[in-house]
Amino acid sequence: MSSWLDYTINGLIVGNVYALVAVGLALIFGVSRLINFAQGSIYLVGAYIGWVAVVQLHTPLPLTIILVAVTSAIVGLVIERFGLRPLQNSVRIAPLLATIGISFVLDQLVMLTFSPNPRALPSQLPDVRFQIGGGTIGPLDLLIAGVGLTSALLLFVFLRYSKLGWAVRATAQDRDAAMQMGVDVNRVNQAVFGIAAALGGVSGLLVGMYYNQIDTAMSLQATLKGVVAEVVGGAGNVPGAVIGSLLLGLVESYGVAVFGTSYRNLFAFLLLVLVLVLRPNGLFASARQAPPEPLTGTFIAPSRPVRIPRWALLAAAAAFAILPLLPVSFYVLQTLINAWLLGMLALSLTLVAGTIGQVSLGHAALLAIGAYTSALLSLTFAVPVGLAVIGAGLMSAALGTLLISPSFRLRGHYVSIATLAIGEIVSLVILNWESVTRGPIGISGIPPLSLFGHELISPTSIYWFSFGVMVVLALLQGRLLGSHLGRSFRAIRDDDIAARAYGLSLNRYKALAFIFGGFAAGVSGGIAAHLYSYINHETFNTQQSILALTVVILGGLGNVVGAIVGSVALVGLPEVFRIAAEYRILIYGIVLLLLVRFRPQGLLGTM
Amino acid sequence: MTTSAAEPLLALSGVNTFYGQAQVHFDLSITVGRGHIVCLLGGNASGKSTTMKIILGLVKPRSGDVTFDGASLLGLTTPQIVRRGIASVPEARRLFADMSVRENILMGAFVRNDRDGIAQDLDKMLGLFPKLGQRLSQRAGSLSGGEQQMVAMARALMSRPGMIVMDEPTMGLSPLYVDRVLELIRTINQEGVSVFMVEQNASLALEIAHEAYVLQTGRIVLSGPARVLKDDPRIRDAYLGGSEAA
Repeated sequence: MSSWLDYTINGLIVGNVYALVAVGLALIFGVSRLINFAQGSIYLVGAYIGWVAVVQLHTPLPLTIILVAVTSAIVGLVIERFGLRPLQNSVRIAPLLATIGISFVLDQLVMLTFSPNPRALPSQLPDVRFQIGGGTIGPLDLLIAGVGLTSALLLFVFLRYSKLGWAVRATAQDRDAAMQMGVDVNRVNQAVFGIAAALGGVSGLLVGMYYNQIDTAMSLQATLKGVVAEVVGGAGNVPGAVIGSLLLGLVESYGVAVFGTSYRNLFAFLLLVLVLVLRPNGLFASARQAPPEPLTGTFIAPSRPVRIPRWALLAAAAAFAILPLLPVSFYVLQTLINAWLLGMLALSLTLVAGTIGQVSLGHAALLAIGAYTSALLSLTFAVPVGLAVIGAGLMSAALGTLLISPSFRLRGHYVSIATLAIGEIVSLVILNWESVTRGPIGISGIPPLSLFGHELISPTSIYWFSFGVMVVLALLQGRLLGSHLGRSFRAIRDDDIAARAYGLSLNRYKALAFIFGGFAAGVSGGIAAHLYSYINHETFNTQQSILALTVVILGGLGNVVGAIVGSVALVGLPEVFRIAAEYRILIYGIVLLLLVRFRPQGLLGTM
Repeated sequence: MTTSAAEPLLALSGVNTFYGQAQVHFDLSITVGRGHIVCLLGGNASGKSTTMKIILGLVKPRSGDVTFDGASLLGLTTPQIVRRGIASVPEARRLFADMSVRENILMGAFVRNDRDGIAQDLDKMLGLFPKLGQRLSQRAGSLSGGEQQMVAMARALMSRPGMIVMDEPTMGLSPLYVDRVLELIRTINQEGVSVFMVEQNASLALEIAHEAYVLQTGRIVLSGPARVLKDDPRIRDAYLGGSEAA
């Protein structure tokens, strides 16, 4: 019995920490209908500022908390002013993408400043445990609970009794009407970003102290947990976010109690998917709330695609095809092979996110499914590698579509959240399903690529193989876009209600798009498995999903040629400029930010 | 009150507005005299609501000028325009549904900082809209359409505006409330607040207005004193969109 009480206390404490993140997300979503993916980065910044304060400046605890809150709030204000305010009149997807870019930049800056190695963050509190009932509780637990309650109280007083708080509530309910009462919406945005950042930063500090360790991977985890809690409580609902957080903390804690630590996140994401499917407005959303999602046609930047003459495409393809015959280094070929593999993933994502408008943030999961399928088929069942790669495509198409199907009934930002969660679930299932996937050990000794019994080992042959596969996929996708089916996809993206009124079954078309896209991504993952010869559950991670999204936006959403050009550019340019590996993610983040700001339609335009 | 036709309170002059490629207003000129009720009539898609948005700074015209009390409103943000003394009763009320009635009315005084004056005005509103007295702590979203209209009007008055712009104040109300709303508009006006209202219901609007304009696909096709227009057969034609007649 006593341990159950401990798990309950632990769940509530962790829930309190999540609540500090989720409340900020809810405030921001309420006011600007934006899911702030940079919230976890502020939490990370808060944790590291706390480390500097505690370990280097030796500040007393109250001062540490104030220092973290103030500095984080300033970071939040800077993000609002320079990252998001310029996008106010932009397409609806722009601010979401901007927060993703900002989170990349912030995380990398922290990593470059402090190195990726974990650091210890001492709690400054005496390490004693008090017995209560059958469980124990320590001073840090009480501190976290105290900070959580105090923040909730302050927030309540602010929203209920201050003029700015009224403005926040009014803006959340009707932005235009609030402006017509004289509310300066920019100030409201500033206020919520400042508050959200202060709470998020303090949350990072407390978590660091709770686990006595901080590292740069905390950021994405915090964003994910915060988003889960917020959506469970009902997006934009502040009290709902608190309850959602406590619920999430308890579910995780009990899940860990029964199944073990590696299942913690699996429960979080299953809870999210369950809520999204059963009650997409959250457990506590008011029924009256209008769906805050995109007004038609405004989600993706409309533009005329750049027309590239057929001969130019043919010439470019021919040039790349004969490249290995020229005296180029293996290094160049290796780089381009990576570009072709990324190109296949980008083809897949540009179809799903661009053509039919389902902005997936979990696309790396399709790579992982393909990679594991191909690896296991060739290793366990001795299937020839060529066939195994095709099997990988089919498996990703089938399984990927099946897994993503719960998100079909969602729209806009919710699709991104759901796909992100589903991607994480895939990675966690791979980690935990040891009998099939070999769990955390991963799969090694994957045979090299081969075709009709000939092993493809030389860079030249691998180059031709991957280039050829990508070109075939691109041609197929080009045909698809020009067909009636392609037009239906675009109709669903531009106005799903009108498309439905014309008799298009949304689920069926979304499934078709994911089947096609899943195949391309699965093939890419399958080929990658045979090239790497070793894969594990972290080989294909969220960073790759975001990289693919950056490629797709760079090329122009829905644009087939653009996806390939974007891949070559994002893989190639860092090589050309010899940018060190640790700066690359930073560069990708900056590229994404600049694109969203100055050329949301991408290089070649959306199609 | 200074009444001089030469110096209108609000003037739109030569306004051309576009949504993307589509032109919404063609050389639109409208004036609202001090202390007057002016209504803008027109059918669907005639550009009425866009005219409201131009005045409130929610949409910017491509050319032309909008002046209030002699100063141009172009380049001002909506909150700045509200501070100049223009309050609004938006289309379909647009109350803050999850806030209480009291909070909604007080939101109207957002631009003011005189606590005592605000409290006095709140009492005054309860005198003007006695029904709201019992509803003060209720969620605004739970009121009936007519009651919501009362809240929206009280909310607009709380900023002590020189002018109120109203977008279809009688839309969707029961006949009983339509009369009540029109009467209230008259009362508000008699207290010195100028009113600019957009309406589809021509005959009702002309009952209380001093002047009226008829807008048809972005152009003013008819204007003049309401008394005169009320009997003008072209009102009917223009209103129904009969372009041959106009």
